Amino acid sequence: MYKPGEKSPVILDGDPGHDDAIAWLIARASMMTDKALDIKAVTAVGGNVSLDKTAYNAMRVLTLLGMTEVPLAKGAEHPLMRELMSAPSVHGESGLDGPVLPEPELSLSSLTAVELMAKVLRESDEGVTIVSTGPLTNTAALLLAHPELKEKIRRISLMGGGVSHGNWTPAAEFNILVDPEAADIVFKSGVPILMSGLDVTEKALVLKDDVERIRAIGSKVGDIVWKWLEFFYQYHKKIGYEGAPMHDPCAVMALLHPEIFTVRDYHVEIETAGKYCQGATVADVRDIKKQEPNASVVLGLDREKFVDYLVEAVAAYR
Amino acid sequence: MAYPVWMDVDTGTDDALAILLAHSLEEIEIVGLSAVSGNTELHHSFRNTRAICALLGGGYPVYAGAPKPLFREPFRAPLVHGSNGLGDVELPLPQKETVHEEAAWDALYQEAKKQGGRLRVIATGPLTNLATAFAKYPDLPGLIHTLLIMGGCVSEGNVTPSAEFNIYADPEAAEAVFLSGPPIVLCPLDVTESLYLTPDDMRRMRDDGGEAAGYAYDILQKPWSFHRSYGHPGAQMHDSCPVLYLVHPELFTGKEAGVYVETKGRLTYGKTVTDLYSDRKFDRKNALVVLEAKTEECIEILIRGIQSI
Repeated sequence: MYKPGEKSPVILDGDPGHDDAIAWLIARASMMTDKALDIKAVTAVGGNVSLDKTAYNAMRVLTLLGMTEVPLAKGAEHPLMRELMSAPSVHGESGLDGPVLPEPELSLSSLTAVELMAKVLRESDEGVTIVSTGPLTNTAALLLAHPELKEKIRRISLMGGGVSHGNWTPAAEFNILVDPEAADIVFKSGVPILMSGLDVTEKALVLKDDVERIRAIGSKVGDIVWKWLEFFYQYHKKIGYEGAPMHDPCAVMALLHPEIFTVRDYHVEIETAGKYCQGATVADVRDIKKQEPNASVVLGLDREKFVDYLVEAVAAYR
Repeated sequence: MAYPVWMDVDTGTDDALAILLAHSLEEIEIVGLSAVSGNTELHHSFRNTRAICALLGGGYPVYAGAPKPLFREPFRAPLVHGSNGLGDVELPLPQKETVHEEAAWDALYQEAKKQGGRLRVIATGPLTNLATAFAKYPDLPGLIHTLLIMGGCVSEGNVTPSAEFNIYADPEAAEAVFLSGPPIVLCPLDVTESLYLTPDDMRRMRDDGGEAAGYAYDILQKPWSFHRSYGHPGAQMHDSCPVLYLVHPELFTGKEAGVYVETKGRLTYGKTVTDLYSDRKFDRKNALVVLEAKTEECIEILIRGIQSI
């Protein structure tokens, strides 16, 4: 189901967040170099921190990356049918604590996230890939509001879930846990899904030496990424990781460099009820229920090559 | 001195093997058994357990427990265990038999008190009897030295993508046990599926063994044909795992974890939720989760034990 290495227009949907910002940086770098991805729009969603903060962070990140021409829209403030649960402990109060970022040199679109996504899909001659690195609220809202545009979505590449375990609860990963109903809509939509869950993202570690490689690039963008990684590295070291897990960048990297990832097709469903398991991505690894796979699930990677590509992407900014 | 052991079983083809194994090991002294509804109906599991004990000389008291799960409808496994729960093998009961009328939970409680904190309980079926016993006797968990459970899964389930049979067959009982339990050793599918008898192992066991080994061979043919049907290399010996762990913990590796059971999930009903790999941990580590076994040594002990009967 997952056809690697294809060129595609993309919509970036996320809740930046350090690792969203790095995911976007990689996507933008590809646009500047081999043009594998063509970023048509960016949409912000409430998640790691509130929507106001993620939208402001998105504006600052696009400004930093020289993407002021890309339309940016605000989407959902809160999950489809729940209160927002955020993660300031991971990303700091602003959602993007650390180095000082340029003030925004672009303004928000007058369209909502769903309107902007729909416009991009409508105007595109080819299928568009949605890269979703936050809760899936915006993407689910698009699917609910515009069933007629589903065919125009080539793939949803998302960071979320985990086959073997969770992080925010023992059973659930943060992005899916925040809005399980939205995730359920996305996984049931029939749109091909490329799922980068904790199975791979916790192995996509940036180690101390790798942080130094980024530092050595010595550019304006490189210095900021270095400080983000340092911030992320320190937080994760405190909770027992040997490096900083590059959760969200996997969702972009798996599109650009599929050959360095291990991928399996499974039928995946989302637990929306339960005492302990809300937000769990239940993958039928043994095909017990005999259902067609709906997701290509990324399970592993060549970490060193991943870091090489990351360094290369950061070095593309001079 | 041998460990005093109570076995709570839903015999059950691999339960039968676990009882034979426990009997054969000199480190274990079986002090009682209780039957529960699970793999098969209670009247079958009760009869099968007595029949296995009769084969072993009839010295062990067997008690009947719960005829159905606490809340849910019964869920059974006839494809694995046959219509009578013993792989459709007819095992005779003795002409003269003392049938114990006392309920499983009452008999277990009396034995636990008698053993003064030394009693090991091996549970290889749904946990309905134990949950009932803990509800009736709140001091019982404190009287049990270790509760060794075959059940659950850290990764994939075997009856649903999330759940293993014994826990799925009575999730509410399992949750009650994990919430109130004594020190628990959990043997989930992650380790129990690595313990299996290949066709060669089964023949070897029978050819160099006695009457019990012959019956064990016959009993295993049904589960073997089931496990073979989905590509597994042998008959799975899930229920022997906690017996082997009790006597030979050095053959296993495990990790302390918080373990609770999902009772409200739509897809995850009956999942044993562990915090082994998540950032967020449960407040309490209530179980040792066994994850790996030295399988060759385990299988040799099992085969030799059953041959020695």
